[in-house]
Amino acid sequence: MRKYLFIIKTQIMSNLQYVFNIVFSFIGYFILLFILFNLWQYLYSDPNELINGYNMTQMSWYVIITEILWMTLGGRKLCHKISQDVRSGNITYNINKPYSYIGYCLSTHLGDVFVKGLIYIFLGMLTGLLFLGSFPKLTLINILVVLITAILATTISILLIISIGLISFFIEDSGPFYWIYSKIILVLGTIFPIEYFPTIIQKILNFSPVYVVSYGPAKLFVDFSWDKAVSIILAQIIYIIIAYGICYLIYKKGVKKINVNGG
Amino acid sequence: MFMAIIEVKKLSKTFKVKIKDKGLKGSLKSIIKPKYKTVKAVKNISFAVERGEIIAFIGPNGAGKSTTIKMMTSILYPDKGTIRVLGYDPTKDRKKLSYEIGTVFGQKEQLWTHLTPYDNFKFFGAIYDIPEPVVEKKIEELKMLFELDEFINTPVRNLSLGQRIRCEIVASLIHEPKVLFLDEPTIGLDPVVKENIRTLIKRMNKEYKTTIFLTSHDVGDIEKLCKRVIIINDGQLVLDDTMENLKYHYLNKKIVEAKMKERVNLDDEDGITIIKDKGYNLKIEVDTTKRSVADALKLLNPDNIIDINISNIPLEDIISDIYKSKDL
Amino acid sequence: MLTEVKNQWKVTRLSIQYALVRELLNKATFLSNIFFMILNDSCMIVQWIVLFSIKNNMGGYTFKQVLLLWGMAAGTYGVSRFFFKKSFNLSETINSGKLDAYIVQPKNILLSTITSDIEIAALGDILFALIVYFIYGFNMRTFLLYLFFCITGGVMITAIAIILNSLSFWFNNADMIADVGIRLIESFATYPDGIFKGITKWLLFTIIPIGITNYIPIKVLIEFNPYLLIINICVCLLLMILAYTIFSKGLKKYSSSNLMSARI
Repeated sequence: MRKYLFIIKTQIMSNLQYVFNIVFSFIGYFILLFILFNLWQYLYSDPNELINGYNMTQMSWYVIITEILWMTLGGRKLCHKISQDVRSGNITYNINKPYSYIGYCLSTHLGDVFVKGLIYIFLGMLTGLLFLGSFPKLTLINILVVLITAILATTISILLIISIGLISFFIEDSGPFYWIYSKIILVLGTIFPIEYFPTIIQKILNFSPVYVVSYGPAKLFVDFSWDKAVSIILAQIIYIIIAYGICYLIYKKGVKKINVNGG
Repeated sequence: MFMAIIEVKKLSKTFKVKIKDKGLKGSLKSIIKPKYKTVKAVKNISFAVERGEIIAFIGPNGAGKSTTIKMMTSILYPDKGTIRVLGYDPTKDRKKLSYEIGTVFGQKEQLWTHLTPYDNFKFFGAIYDIPEPVVEKKIEELKMLFELDEFINTPVRNLSLGQRIRCEIVASLIHEPKVLFLDEPTIGLDPVVKENIRTLIKRMNKEYKTTIFLTSHDVGDIEKLCKRVIIINDGQLVLDDTMENLKYHYLNKKIVEAKMKERVNLDDEDGITIIKDKGYNLKIEVDTTKRSVADALKLLNPDNIIDINISNIPLEDIISDIYKSKDL
Repeated sequence: MLTEVKNQWKVTRLSIQYALVRELLNKATFLSNIFFMILNDSCMIVQWIVLFSIKNNMGGYTFKQVLLLWGMAAGTYGVSRFFFKKSFNLSETINSGKLDAYIVQPKNILLSTITSDIEIAALGDILFALIVYFIYGFNMRTFLLYLFFCITGGVMITAIAIILNSLSFWFNNADMIADVGIRLIESFATYPDGIFKGITKWLLFTIIPIGITNYIPIKVLIEFNPYLLIINICVCLLLMILAYTIFSKGLKKYSSSNLMSARI
């Protein structure tokens, strides 16, 4: 009996260490939020004032959500790993296995994000409550819908990053492509809602990944409406199909290239 | 008092190691109330080295060899005792001392791998403030001595391990140090290259009268290079003697290996120890102070011997014997 | 004394030169590193265009002045990462026993260590800082001041990195603290001080001295003020001395790689 207790204890401890590291990484996230809260406080002379349809509290919750989505993703690591698999030829070992490489990457990475996501959501909500003192008016079902869109958003992000990593089949270093993608999401999708940009740009953004991977869940969280929810989930489903299609095509072409060139 | 180049007196060093229990609880506990364990790495060591000597400083892993060397080269601060290297106190005269000593620390690389040995040597020249023309001349000289001609203009990353070690040694000699600390110089090299490095070290010692302080696990290094051996174990000095004495001390023991026609039954007797007994093949150790080799042979019955080999105990065994005996 | 400085300078120069030679072995990577960093720094312009479309004054800063603030942040960051890259992972150098190599050399240990490698992308930051300055408007006097502040700021950030990382001589997990500290400084450096209030503002001029490294220089560039200039210089010197002292104190606790084997 004793040894099993010991096993349980060590297992818990090693998992706690992992949790501890995630909590520590949250400090970076917290600093960023703190600065942005200050910025919004400065920007809004009156907290109830509406700028582009958002009040101060909504803006603050908006960045809490988009930053959680971004920080838990671990995109750079994923892209690097895929690139590495392609370049080292590891990917060819997977060709004969009875599962798809893309599906395998997607599911393992989703699993990684899951734990980190839970902790970030908890700490992020706590930060919001402490600084803002209130929680957006959401029913339980609304929260469930937001969670679903968040999961779909992460799935799309991962698929897009996999497709970027797979570019390594053709161009040795896919780093710059990932970099451009991350900049688009960060600059256009995390700090401000789409409504903050000029109308022409808004139209483009509504069709861009920004709409489905960061704006969607955050918008629903701060200003829920069923109309929005339906259109966002629909857009997300379309994006998943497209992103998976792109991954599949690049993978097919890439593998063919390796087979022709013999690695 | 005699004039020694290195003088170490009653040197001690303990490390305070923080013990951390595993996991988060352990981490938190170690922040709030850290537990320490003291590890005595070096205990009251004294010795002296004279100019031009090649000393083998040996001991099993974790014996305190590198801790001692690091204290002599100002890397670590001793807790107790004094060190004088060329009259300098390593804790106070780090800069002055470093102009006079050279170090080659085994696997740790000091060279820029994308540059040629030549450029690297120039860099070391700058570190030791040697004027350009003097460096050029010195590089030329060492190039001849260490036979670097073939690859002095090849980037270091393209060199073989043996060539690299030669360059590491040369780099540490650019400033003409009076004492050279060599930590495992031949580790990972094949026997031919090892031999080559040893010859070069010996030649260098003759040429410049450089005192060499060598640590190695390779008995060949010790046997071929050193006239004196200092052995430490568990932080304590267990032997400080000439190589000759060390061997002589064990010379009165002989190993007799014999291949027999017939099986012999032999038991441990006074002065005879059986090392291996596989019926027809025998290996025994004879202590000649107690029994002559001839006596031992009689026991075996000379008519029965097909082949025989009588030899001294290998240095390797002598050394491991010393390590072991001090453990007890 | 003078020859010693000269000799030290020669080693530092050679060290940087050799590291550059190494980076130049792959010219494409070299150039793309710099190019992407400039692009990276430029991305922030989007954020500020949006913000200034809402309010035409950000904590007392005009658009051009915010731009200059970014230039300053990139400049100080660039100087510290390009010339003193190793001060940012000094913890690792200390914990893995890699300091040995510098201790046995007759040069200043701290200086030799932190200048032993360069960060190429940081050249992009420095270039960005210059580009921004020329957009802001050239004037010989402010240009020299700007360069001067980039250097003092870079030195101050380096000093803070050294101080935080030197804690590794005493504590095991000091590298995590150092990372957070540096991150804190760099995150604040790109926002105007006017948006912060109360304790935060006070902290920015003391413990997280972004006020000294970045806000004061911008104020001096906008309107010359000798007192603020002197404060900048004094704090810079103070931090240098503090960094050097703490590092030297820690060196006596240095355990090389011995602790690693003892930890097992």
